[in-house]
Amino acid sequence: MADKIKLFVNGEEVEVEAGKNLIDAVGAVGIEIPHLCYHPALGADGNCRMCLVGIEDGRPPLVPACKTPAQEGMKVLLDAEHIKKIQHDVMEFELINHPIDCPVCDQAGECKLQDYYMSCDQKPSRMTVPQVTKNKKMDFGGGVIHDQERCVVCGRCVRFLRQITKTGELGIINRTDDARVNIFPGRPIDNRYGINVVDLCPVGAMTSSDFRFKQRVWFLKKASGVCHGCSKGCSITIDHNKEKNKDDIIYRFRPRFNGQVNGYFICDEGRLSYKSENENRLTAAFIGKVEREISDVLTAAKKELEMSKKAVFLISPDASLEQMVAVKALAAKLGATLSGYSDGYIKKGDGDDYLIQDDKAANRQGLLLLGIDTTKESFEKAVSEADLFVNFASDLSRSYEQDALTKLLTGKKTIVCATHESAFNGQATITIPVRSYSEYSGSVINCDNILQRFEKAVTKNNELLDICEVAAEFGCPLQTPAEAYAELQQVIGMLKEYQPATIPAEGLNLNDSEAANVTA
Amino acid sequence: MEVRILSAKFDVKNSNQLKTALKHGAYENLDKLFAMQPAEVIEEVKKSGLRGRGGAGFPAGVKWGFLPKDTGKPVYLTVNSDESEPATFKDRYILVKDPHMLIEGIIICSYAIGSNDTYIYIRGEYTTQVKVLQEAIDEAYKAGYLGEKVAGHDYRVDVTVHRGAGAYVCGEETALLESIEGKKGQPRSKPPFPAVAGLYGCPTIINNVQSIASLPFIMKEGADAYKAYGTEKSPGTHLFGISGHVEKPGMYELPLGLPLLEVIDKVAGGVWKGRKLKGVIPGGSSTPVLLPEEAATTTLDYESMAEHKTMFGSGGIVVLDETVNIVELVQNLINFYHHESCGQCTPCREGLGWMKKITQKILKGEGSMADVDLLRELCDNIEMKTVCVLSAACTMPVRSYLDKFRHEFEAYVTENEPSVAEATEE
Repeated sequence: MADKIKLFVNGEEVEVEAGKNLIDAVGAVGIEIPHLCYHPALGADGNCRMCLVGIEDGRPPLVPACKTPAQEGMKVLLDAEHIKKIQHDVMEFELINHPIDCPVCDQAGECKLQDYYMSCDQKPSRMTVPQVTKNKKMDFGGGVIHDQERCVVCGRCVRFLRQITKTGELGIINRTDDARVNIFPGRPIDNRYGINVVDLCPVGAMTSSDFRFKQRVWFLKKASGVCHGCSKGCSITIDHNKEKNKDDIIYRFRPRFNGQVNGYFICDEGRLSYKSENENRLTAAFIGKVEREISDVLTAAKKELEMSKKAVFLISPDASLEQMVAVKALAAKLGATLSGYSDGYIKKGDGDDYLIQDDKAANRQGLLLLGIDTTKESFEKAVSEADLFVNFASDLSRSYEQDALTKLLTGKKTIVCATHESAFNGQATITIPVRSYSEYSGSVINCDNILQRFEKAVTKNNELLDICEVAAEFGCPLQTPAEAYAELQQVIGMLKEYQPATIPAEGLNLNDSEAANVTA
Repeated sequence: MEVRILSAKFDVKNSNQLKTALKHGAYENLDKLFAMQPAEVIEEVKKSGLRGRGGAGFPAGVKWGFLPKDTGKPVYLTVNSDESEPATFKDRYILVKDPHMLIEGIIICSYAIGSNDTYIYIRGEYTTQVKVLQEAIDEAYKAGYLGEKVAGHDYRVDVTVHRGAGAYVCGEETALLESIEGKKGQPRSKPPFPAVAGLYGCPTIINNVQSIASLPFIMKEGADAYKAYGTEKSPGTHLFGISGHVEKPGMYELPLGLPLLEVIDKVAGGVWKGRKLKGVIPGGSSTPVLLPEEAATTTLDYESMAEHKTMFGSGGIVVLDETVNIVELVQNLINFYHHESCGQCTPCREGLGWMKKITQKILKGEGSMADVDLLRELCDNIEMKTVCVLSAACTMPVRSYLDKFRHEFEAYVTENEPSVAEATEE
């Protein structure tokens, strides 16, 4: 990996990565240098002046750590009284014109001003003259609400829209303490990544119109997830909470840093896709159109499977690798044809050259790796020859009009395992509600062949079955998650070195492994 | 006391026109210049001891030496004509009275540093100056002193005039570069310094108008002739703008090193109306004030100013008579620097506004002793914590007024509580 260098922080020797600035270099070994304007994805700007440190080698008495490369033997002074005083002084300047409206601010609990007040300031205000007043509750478009008074004019949002999306909707107008972030008149934030400015904002100046006022952030439980919005599989944090007497629901997705997938950001569509995990979910089991106990429905389904002479299984391209191997093993045991047909998940031309992909399926690479056929011809041929069609959560409405599907399935028995309500469910002989991706743990492989593991985030009051459990009920040889994972290790050689819990947070790049190219 | 080196042609009618300028020796040095090696020119300027006339007083020849060699990138010369420091009015005379002296200086500097392209960044409010300068440049092009072959020699010099839009901070050299590049005028963090990565990322030398305009004399008469004026460490002459409470305010060219009070008395006619001297601002509004007893031992050179804990600055001398209300002066000063803060760095952006409001409060008679102390403390908390020195340009003089005239601030505070008599009068 990167070269290591040794330098001194407050007289103590630390070993850090070469080629980084002081904030990142010593930050990586747990020494925080306070900063507001610097962000590793946006580079150093040097305007907040919070990161001023002393270097004991005859340089100017103070240097911004964000603009100072870490160098061998450097003696960095952080805990000296005069450095601490600067941090306190800068905090005082940041706060004199700040409304200090934490009780009604969405950022409270994850606000750098709050954190640094506690760590660097902790003094009562000396502001006895009128504060600067600016505009509040400004709708910047794109789901972003701006409060100019809370803003510390660090310019992260401006730099994001200039450097990353290159759309440049925001600028800083005016000078002096009248400087403020604004849009150009009549030109709101209009790009597919705009809400990232809410995460980037170190204070409560940028809030999400979708999330604001819904939850205090300290109540939210956080789980490491993978966005299933497209085949990029961006790393996300799933913030969810189960309020008293209510169900566990998701309040927001936030990007989780992953250097080899999405960096620091996610697209707005993916970010807001948390809603479909909460809404329109299928929660009841049906035989025909009659709601029945899940145990009765499973018994009925097993009977159908036993009676069937020739069955076709369809697995969702969103399913986890574990679910795929389980369904595959079940199909092999029952002599059923397995298809991963899901052309409708691909929206040609929708992707861009950044994160968004044409393919809206989270684990198509998994289908390919496991050798599951995805062609339309084989799928339709198999269906036409079969008497039973079992759908493991694939959204056929993406590929077929209702009439075409009805025609395709005429005269067949159908068992549908579904996560969401759909007009198609009603036509099924048997309908089984199953968990969606925020409710189980598993692994998926993204479009760049990177395998990521995600945690189970949400536990519903009415816990549904996972597809693996349904497959097990149907007699799958892989009865437990451990058995499914062991099977995966047979297929993906790289996994042999890992247990589910030890797969690195940034995932495994299967391109690095020859085994990845071996199909089962 | 006055000398005529830079201002030699200032009294000549139509001295801005090429015909007149040529009669008085303009562009006479070019054959001599191109016969020399660039390094020899730099050596001569170093020898002359010419110091940057923008305010900081950095030796010009040494600055040129910071240019990296053989980068494969063009070298730019940028002439800082943003002259915006309150009380400073020297470059404007050169721009209007003798623009060809500046152009000749540009040619000399360009050849020395290996530059073919010069940008003159001129203060936006200088409408007459920009017009006269541009006319002179056009004349110089037409006569072949600028362009592909300077005066028939195989060297190209092109000059572009770039007008500012009224921001004081654009006189800061990196904000100036940002402004030329079409961006918001905000100073850059240094390093890298402009000599390494300046305009459009290329090596750039930025010199003040007066520094560049001093070069033709040095070329013609030699470094020793230049050093004959001034002191050992502050050689040469300077255009001093003397304003404020004097009988004869104006621009005077003087050798460096003269006693400050003598200049005020003999050159500018002394404090007006027979009043007593209260203080002297020695080099533009951002330089710390001198009390009369300090001024008595001060001479007009970089060293003496530093000894008196102030700065030579831009040569803009402001004389304050006994009637001056220091708190009002400070209010005026802070208003200016607050207004001109680019708003980039937190301490300057938020701090100067705070200082402004505290001073207002004191002036209104609503301040307390704690406010005076706070104002003084804020000077320390803001100064040198920012990318550029604009904040220091405010806090250094304000600190000097607070330290030297604290009783005037306290007078406002002690008058805080209106007396019973005043209260009943209303």
